[in-house]
Amino acid sequence: MKHAKRTLSLLIIFSVLFLAGCQNKAPETKGTEEKKQYSIGIVQLAQHEALDAATKGFMDVLNEKFPDQVVFDVQNASGDTTNCTTIVNGFVSKKVDLIMANATPALQAAASATDTIPILGTSVTHYAPALDIEEWTGTVGTNISGTSDLADLKQQAAMIPEWFPDAKTVSLFYCSSEANSAFQVEEVEKHLAELGLETKRFSFTDTNDVASVALAACKESDVIYIPTDNTAASNAEAIANVILPEKVPAIAGEIGLCKGCGIATLTISYEDIGRATGEMAYKILTGEAKVEEMPIEYAPNFEKYYNPTICEQLGITPLEGYKPFED
Amino acid sequence: MLKVQSISKTFHPGTVNANTALDGVSLHLKEGDFVTVIGGNGAGKSTLLNAIAGTFPVDEGGIVLDGTDITRLPEYKRADFLGRVFQDPMMGTAPTMQIDENLALAARRGQKRGLKWGMKKEEQQRYRELLATLDLGLEDRMGIKVGLLSGGQRQSLTLLMATLKKPKLLLLDEHTAALDPRTAPKVLEITEQLVSSQRLTTLMITHNMRDALHLGNRLLMMDGGRIVLDIEGEEKKNLTVSDLLDRFSAASGKEEVSDSLLLSK
Amino acid sequence: MDFVLTFLGTLPGAITQGLIWGLMAMGVYVTFRVLSVSDLTVDGTLATGGAVCVILIRAGAPVGAAILIAFLTGLLCGLSTAFLHTKWGIPVILAGILTQIALYSVNLRVMASKANASISVDKYSLLISQRYVRETSLRNPLYFLVIFTVLVIGLLYWYFGTESGSALRATGANPRMARAQGINTDFQITLGLMIANGMVALAGALLAQYQGFADVNMGRGAIVIGLAAVIIGEVLTQKFFINFALKLLAVSIGSIVYFLVLQLVLQLGLNTNDLKLISALIVAVFLAVPHFSKRMKMNQNKGGEKNA
Repeated sequence: MKHAKRTLSLLIIFSVLFLAGCQNKAPETKGTEEKKQYSIGIVQLAQHEALDAATKGFMDVLNEKFPDQVVFDVQNASGDTTNCTTIVNGFVSKKVDLIMANATPALQAAASATDTIPILGTSVTHYAPALDIEEWTGTVGTNISGTSDLADLKQQAAMIPEWFPDAKTVSLFYCSSEANSAFQVEEVEKHLAELGLETKRFSFTDTNDVASVALAACKESDVIYIPTDNTAASNAEAIANVILPEKVPAIAGEIGLCKGCGIATLTISYEDIGRATGEMAYKILTGEAKVEEMPIEYAPNFEKYYNPTICEQLGITPLEGYKPFED
Repeated sequence: MLKVQSISKTFHPGTVNANTALDGVSLHLKEGDFVTVIGGNGAGKSTLLNAIAGTFPVDEGGIVLDGTDITRLPEYKRADFLGRVFQDPMMGTAPTMQIDENLALAARRGQKRGLKWGMKKEEQQRYRELLATLDLGLEDRMGIKVGLLSGGQRQSLTLLMATLKKPKLLLLDEHTAALDPRTAPKVLEITEQLVSSQRLTTLMITHNMRDALHLGNRLLMMDGGRIVLDIEGEEKKNLTVSDLLDRFSAASGKEEVSDSLLLSK
Repeated sequence: MDFVLTFLGTLPGAITQGLIWGLMAMGVYVTFRVLSVSDLTVDGTLATGGAVCVILIRAGAPVGAAILIAFLTGLLCGLSTAFLHTKWGIPVILAGILTQIALYSVNLRVMASKANASISVDKYSLLISQRYVRETSLRNPLYFLVIFTVLVIGLLYWYFGTESGSALRATGANPRMARAQGINTDFQITLGLMIANGMVALAGALLAQYQGFADVNMGRGAIVIGLAAVIIGEVLTQKFFINFALKLLAVSIGSIVYFLVLQLVLQLGLNTNDLKLISALIVAVFLAVPHFSKRMKMNQNKGGEKNA
């Protein structure tokens, strides 16, 4: 009797899930017989503006080039690396034609799962350490390629004396659990040192200590620099709430951050690199190019933006050459 | 065998709840003494037993067991020399382990427990025989989890475990108080059997004055953290319950005796 | 039909993930069920095991040695929590949390201040990798993991039957009684925490190789998955798995079920944003099954009396 009840409850669970799933199926393609159907799996590490923009750019390009021919399976790991493995397992079992991995852990999970299905990474700053490649030539050389969100860090560093000629110390603020952020901070540190500025690192663990570390950073410096850090970007408002009352300005590595808490940014457009990734995917799917021969592509353009609201709040006059956001 | 030298224990010292449970208690037990301890609630009987067992350290005084000073030893080290049965029948056995596993644990009291297998074939036979002496049918159910047994059965098992390796001192803390009126006498019977066959030095707390007079060769009465009465041998044999009550009033200077003493016949 | 076929295709991967996490869940079982303590160190220990293993392999150590050292590191993590609890009197739950927090920094240091270290099966000879999980060749991690799981269960079964292991079980069952039988309960708790965390670190080392990287956040939420596996396993097999070895097997089964359901949810196209909610619901349902069957029995009895 007990077994029957248990089996019954299991069946009920699965049926409920099934029904729910039926309403949520991925969009079906209506292509005709002659056109080829492509199935693409997108694994995105977490939800936030930059990663979302990259995914959007990617999907837009492919929908334009292959109208009604592409089925996307978009999965978000909600910040959990274990989910990346489960998601990628699903893609490989389904034998998708291409995997798009948005962010480093997603890329690593995909790379480990398959060496035959083409993988295009995006929102990854450095491919060499992410994939443990020693002699970096610019091309991964296996079934992996993609785009990098590396901005011109030298130019970003130069923004600080440009906007704040009187500044002496700079806090480098980032999340310790993001490998990409640590790289950028290292580079920027070097450039700032060459420019004669003192730097101090302030790393926080997660959302719980963002505010307190930000406060500490404010106390010890004239300006704060924040790289393209996913966690910081998700907590831009919280950071603003700390640094604005302290009247410490921040130079941000990307646009989402700048909108939330920064004075200005020299940013790449994540949607642009998403689109570039889409273009690469198009070439691979049509056979025009082979993934092992494609070098990593970088953002072609940099945009200079300033945040008019925050500039006003802190009494800073925007510089020439920077565009304001239109909120 | 046991020398308790002027031990004192105060709980929550310096606060509003401060309670001097033991006030300079001294006691000398000879080997083979079977001592019953009675007294009202809060007299300090359980505290005395727990102090000897090492559940907490005493504030003052010393305890020497068979020539060894155990005052500073932690509870689990003292267990090597002691056998204990608690008032709560659930307290003396491991409910998620089998009857024979519990006995195997008790058999290794005082030994280093290494990576040898926890139970040998010969042991099982021995346990079967021992359980049979309890006359509870447990010898046929050695593989069941102790948690399924009744209070009386668990308490009997605890008694067996306490005496499996002959302890230097057996401490019984009102061990029949929580049992029903049918099982309690049975457990007492088993207690007597074990104590007399192994000639165990025993300290037994009881609320029942009849039992206190009937069992053992010596009786202690405690009140207010002190021993107020210490009777043994012939004198003890000839006492009646009302004599005992008179002696108690005289010794403790109290006219009224607590209800629990009066009512437990 | 297509759906079913695709789902079947995901099974090897899901089952393998289940087995790896099953090893971790067995560690949780040792502390949670045998020792009756809630050990929260494991979130940190999993990542430590992964980090140590990856760093050692990248430094040129043979895989077996790397895994062994990861295991030893796990023992140390357990020792730390035990120390805080037994010597400094901190309640076990807090002691576990404190160690876990400290391990975050330790893990970063191990990976030389990087939050993430990758380990490619193309470069190193790893013991297991998700690359080969769909193959029938011997490279398929499934074989190794099944054999390894059986070995671990066998080892634990043997250990808990020894004198020392019995003392540990007694400590978890009834610490007062254990002390009355001469068992040093502080020592047993320390031993239990060390064994459990050693297993978790071992699982972490295997996981890092399987997924191809070690990440400082890889242990986040591990305790939840571990407990879910233990509970799901128990509910599914309570009636017929009474033997201790089978109880451990149930933990592994529970873990596999967890990951199967996860994979199913993904395939149904449900929003991964809702994954955590769904996982919580599933575990809640499993937890509620015994409660509901009791209620159903009670109602049946009421009916009996009415008819009597």
